[in-house]
Amino acid sequence: MTTPLLEIRQLYKSYQKAQGIFGRKTIQALSDISFSLYPGQTLAIVGETGSGKSTLAKLLVGIEKPDSGEILLEGQAVTISDYKKYNHVIRYIFQDPARSLNPHQKVGQMLDDVLRYSTQLNEEQRQDKIHQTLQQLGLMEEHADYYPHMFSGGQLQRVALARALIMDPKLLILDEALTALDPSLRAQIVNLLLELQKSTGLSYLLITNHLRLVRHISDHMLVLHQGKALDYGQTNEVFSNPQHDYSRKLIKSAQS
Amino acid sequence: MILLDIKNMTIELETPEGLIRAVDRINLTIREGEIRGLVGESGSGKSLIAKAIVGVLNKRWHITADRFSWAGQDLLRLSYEEQRKIIGRDIAMIYQEPSRSMDPTAPILEQLIESIPDSELESSWWGRPFERRKKAIALLHKVGIRDHQAIFNSYPYQLPEGVCQKIMIAMAIAKKPKLLIADEPTTALESTTQAQLFRLLASFNQLKGMSILLISHELETVARNTQTLSVLYCGQLVEAGETATILKSPLHPYTDALIKSVPEFQPELISKQPLYALHGSIPTLQHLPIGCRLGPRCPNARKECVKTPVLERLQNHYFSCHFPLQGKKL
Ligand SMILES: Nc1ncnc2c1ncn2[C@@H]1O[C@H](COP(=O)(O)OP(=O)(O)OP(=O)(O)O)[C@@H](O)[C@H]1O
Ligand code: SF4
Ligand SMILES: [Mg+2]
Repeated sequence: MTTPLLEIRQLYKSYQKAQGIFGRKTIQALSDISFSLYPGQTLAIVGETGSGKSTLAKLLVGIEKPDSGEILLEGQAVTISDYKKYNHVIRYIFQDPARSLNPHQKVGQMLDDVLRYSTQLNEEQRQDKIHQTLQQLGLMEEHADYYPHMFSGGQLQRVALARALIMDPKLLILDEALTALDPSLRAQIVNLLLELQKSTGLSYLLITNHLRLVRHISDHMLVLHQGKALDYGQTNEVFSNPQHDYSRKLIKSAQS
Repeated sequence: MILLDIKNMTIELETPEGLIRAVDRINLTIREGEIRGLVGESGSGKSLIAKAIVGVLNKRWHITADRFSWAGQDLLRLSYEEQRKIIGRDIAMIYQEPSRSMDPTAPILEQLIESIPDSELESSWWGRPFERRKKAIALLHKVGIRDHQAIFNSYPYQLPEGVCQKIMIAMAIAKKPKLLIADEPTTALESTTQAQLFRLLASFNQLKGMSILLISHELETVARNTQTLSVLYCGQLVEAGETATILKSPLHPYTDALIKSVPEFQPELISKQPLYALHGSIPTLQHLPIGCRLGPRCPNARKECVKTPVLERLQNHYFSCHFPLQGKKL
């Protein structure tokens, strides 16, 4: 059996919250979370606000440290000091691409910065890589000279993807990145993601509070509720035979 | 009875380069007790249409129509003030931007109380504060908020989005409107809360006969919760009719693409296979194509399509396309 690209073992995370003058309350944001994600596969983490999704994302990108438990990347345990080292293996796409792009910087410049910051490529190699990435995402070489406001919503999402993919990551975390897109645009982006996965073996971690698309694009899914993992398994099995009340309710609400 | 009847409504924006036609001669009817969906992608003009109906667009927008009547009364023959009076009495709107429905600086109780019109009150003036409070509590119970004490003194930002959305519905139904226009009422919400709100709206429709215009860019949600449907693309009405009929046999290439792009509507589609997607993207208002606005993206386009197709009718099913999908040209 292949080693998982990402493996999470018994992750716990709690926050202290002040209550009253002296009181402190412990909030268990995540307890006993374990899952694996294999190369070329997609795992959907489904949960509502407060379920622990965002905490999980923060732990994965290394912004915060777990209380206990392990994060393994290709079989190697990662610690917070490794963050920069694995920062190009795992890349992130947020919900609103426009807000995460600098409006005063041309797209080509932005991509060049990413490469300069984290690779040893020389100028010519960087230019090649930029053009190749733009092309891979259905954009044109000329687009490198565009500022973000000159793109349509769909193109912007592609630019955000370009910025994430130019580092040749192995894992892309999509945090509600598909939720707000218009239908025809969403279909285009979904197709692009599916195609990239097929051709490059990229893995996706889809973090979402909607079941929409989960069934179509994910191989496995995990339902997160109040910091605990409820159903976890192959997507079609979870859909057809959810074990927990909450998962049942969630699946039903997406179909009613 | 037909409540709202709009024919050939056009909404244009004044710009330094001249008038831009954001909404192009659309028709819309809503009957008593009907739940109609209005779908279209971002920028297709859904909110503009809603705002034009309730009359809140500013002077930069020019609105014209061949017919605009409410419950049989021709509103075009009335003065703006008279129109507003009738519409203000009978139509309530939940805005897409919550800040337009709710005041972020006022506590919930105060806002609820303000939304109750005097005409709903029975007591003489000294009994009114008490009656209003009682009505406010009853409204919250109606939208499923039992613990009114807990939220009366809260401000909107202190409450979860789902609760705010319910309060907005409570404020909208305070005047017992005949028509509720709900502009993307659940887009920001989680699926379980979404389902709850739709059940709530449906119950008002059934109990009170309140008509609803449900606006959204999500075909799935609209399809599940409406009887009739109007589909917009770039400010043009492309198709309208019974929701079930349209889903089963769309006549317009855009509606067809919309349906095919939703995996839930494609039970045959194998997991991880590409979705059906139109190429290209939605044009901006500044670069609208001539004639049928879907033209540059339409798989069926021919040279005839540079002429704007007129709305045609096949029984209760309306479409505007020179080359409709099912069957032959009429
Ligand atoms: N105040 C404004 N000034 C200029 N253009 C505007 C203004 N308001 C709306 N528009 C334009 O009018 C068109 C229709 O806008 P509208 O808000 O009705 O879209 P919508 O269908 O409600 O979209 P969404 O799904 O994003 O809410 C868009 O192209 C929009 O950019
Ligand atoms: S009128 Fe022409 S371009 Fe427009 S939808 Fe019909 S076939 Fe396509
Ligand atoms: Mg809108």
